[in-house]
Amino acid sequence: MNEELDSQLSAMFDDELPPAECELLARRLSRDEQLKARWGRYAVVGAVIRAERGVRLNAPLAGRISAVLLAEPSLESLAGAALRRPSVRWWQPLAAGGLAASVAAVSILWLRTQAPGLSAPVSAQLAPAASMRSGAVLPASAAGSAQVDSYVVPPTPQIVPVVVPSTELANYVVAHSMFSSPVARRNLLSAFMTSEPAATPPEEAPSDAKKAAR
Amino acid sequence: MSADVSDLSLVRRVQRGDKGAFDALVLKYQHKLVKLVMRYVRNPAEAEDIAQEAFIKAYRALPQFRGDSAFYTWLYRIAINTAKNAVVSRDRSPIEYDLDRHHSDESYDMQGRMKDSETPEGLVLTDEIRTTVNAAIDALPEDLRTAIVLRELEGLSYEEIAAAMDCPVGTVRSRIFRAREAIDRRLREVFEGGLGRAEELG
Repeated sequence: MNEELDSQLSAMFDDELPPAECELLARRLSRDEQLKARWGRYAVVGAVIRAERGVRLNAPLAGRISAVLLAEPSLESLAGAALRRPSVRWWQPLAAGGLAASVAAVSILWLRTQAPGLSAPVSAQLAPAASMRSGAVLPASAAGSAQVDSYVVPPTPQIVPVVVPSTELANYVVAHSMFSSPVARRNLLSAFMTSEPAATPPEEAPSDAKKAAR
Repeated sequence: MSADVSDLSLVRRVQRGDKGAFDALVLKYQHKLVKLVMRYVRNPAEAEDIAQEAFIKAYRALPQFRGDSAFYTWLYRIAINTAKNAVVSRDRSPIEYDLDRHHSDESYDMQGRMKDSETPEGLVLTDEIRTTVNAAIDALPEDLRTAIVLRELEGLSYEEIAAAMDCPVGTVRSRIFRAREAIDRRLREVFEGGLGRAEELG
């Protein structure tokens, strides 16, 4: 064995060889079994000096690992696959997102064409319900102005309060409550009567009061 | 001298598909790694298995190694994680745990030692290696012994050893090489004799 080569090997083992020489020697080391065995013995010497347990000259661990790696694919091919993989990876989420968005857009368009009721904005559908809750009928102009720009916050419709005389309303309720229970009907009527404004009492009210007092 | 140059040149070769270069890395670090794993497991055979697994994991992960840290630092982290996972999975296995605990500590240690050397011949060989190396170091001239011990035991760089020994860096390199050569000569004799005896016993 060339003494200069061994000297280089010793320096390389200590990370003290210039990079250019390291490259050349690493190439030779990976192929030369005799050089590799010497390299292994240098490791044994260091381990004994450091009093490391389990030091074995024949290095069964290295042999076992080498045997396992024989079945492994070369890292060159793995590295190629790893380099290719990121380029595949970065556009996959974008493509998936784009596909999902287009499916959603097509679904929305299809639903709008299939179900006419759904084509109206949500607020427009909510407007009648709001008017029913307020107990008044919207004028045509107000209903027409219920156009909204946003699906999120429907504008409050302009509700014009309509005062319906309670007597008319009572007659209406009585006329339409023939199927309701007598107790409920009586309660409803008494509620209407007590809610009558005191400022405008009907003319026959005092006589009724007198009769009641009598 | 930049650190880790030799490891990096071997790593680059492995990354280019040269498996032989990985053998050199295993030969260099196997003892260190087994010693490291022994902090987590008591059984030397188990420590070797974990070190083997760590090396194989490192090999498979080498395409992602860019050399931002030293190779051994990277390998060290893989080995620590592998050892921790092995300890956790072993502790989760009650049958294995109970079987281990059926042995007394002494018999457990003896079992570990037997696995460590695998065969009685191996045990003899290991002891003989230790004795031979220590004897060879003792027989070295003072300047060679100091240089190799400062390098291997204290982990000093050639420059630091040169400063400590008040000599040029080239002289340090030469002294360390000559010390290794002297020990290696004795070691080869034992190795060849040990193998011959082992074959006779077998």
